[in-house]
Amino acid sequence: MGIHVSVRNATLGATLKMDIAPNETVYDIIESAAEFWKKDPKAYVLRKGKSLLTATDTMMEANIMNGDVLELLPDPEGG
Amino acid sequence: MISAKEYDKDRFDRSKRIEWIDMDGIRNARCFVAGAGALGNEVMKCLVLSGFRDITVTDTDHVVLSNLNRCVFFKDGDVENGMKSDILAERASELDRDVRITARHDKVQDIGDWNEFDVILGCLDNISARLHVNAHAYYRDIPYIDGGTDGMMGKVQVVLPNGPCLRCAMNRTHYDVLVTRFSCTGKASAFYIPKNAAEITTTSTVAAMQVREAMKIASGCEGMCIRDMAYYNGISGETTILNIKKDNMCENHMGE
Repeated sequence: MGIHVSVRNATLGATLKMDIAPNETVYDIIESAAEFWKKDPKAYVLRKGKSLLTATDTMMEANIMNGDVLELLPDPEGG
Repeated sequence: MISAKEYDKDRFDRSKRIEWIDMDGIRNARCFVAGAGALGNEVMKCLVLSGFRDITVTDTDHVVLSNLNRCVFFKDGDVENGMKSDILAERASELDRDVRITARHDKVQDIGDWNEFDVILGCLDNISARLHVNAHAYYRDIPYIDGGTDGMMGKVQVVLPNGPCLRCAMNRTHYDVLVTRFSCTGKASAFYIPKNAAEITTTSTVAAMQVREAMKIASGCEGMCIRDMAYYNGISGETTILNIKKDNMCENHMGE
């Protein structure tokens, strides 16, 4: 039974619906979302509300639940 | 009763009216600015005008023409005609002759005297250098305030002793970027910095936030610092504070 989440693209404003297995990690979402939007080869992070999610956490460890809205953010590298 | 002119006897009169600011703490703090590019220029401006008096800045690059859309201290005549850190130190010193700014041309990987600094401001343009500064700062309990920009997006992450570090917020996409920056030609390794979108309004916003965090730390108000990252979206105008969890897989926290 997957977990249904929405992932919002902070740059485009578009939203993607995803079905995630409980044992998948935050990084799996980042990778899939970046691939879906054919994002530039940059660094990305994922947030849920006020928390920046730890990439190695599973859905359970990150407390991601059905209906959650996550946001994919580019991690600014320039100085 | 004081005369009207007495209001203007002290350069920092207006700063001192902010209750939590400790001007002695700011004056005595030894700051290290890693990078003298766009963020480095704006950070330096804000540091000097805020009353910091002991600043070291390092950068390995020369000024190039495309720097001039966002570097307040660089001019046309500087293009290919001087090291960024030298020019930045000289021009920023003109803002206040009491400030001591030391310019270096070292890579951050060649810095050996980290213990000489009380606070580090990261104005870098690549993940490799960030990770290096992050590790040294965390190991030595030196507060590290990292800034980054990408077009109209920006971030400030404050790394305090015993808190989550830069590495805790990274993932494999960061390492993929890091790998693509390096290229081996067979004869030598080259390091590529991509030509990302960059402009002054985002840069100055991020830099100002970085220096404000340095002011809190130098004033003994670490408890007021951003926990842990401020993410700035220049399109919507929103700044979101994001909490970061210590990553148990992060090499900086293993064994803690």
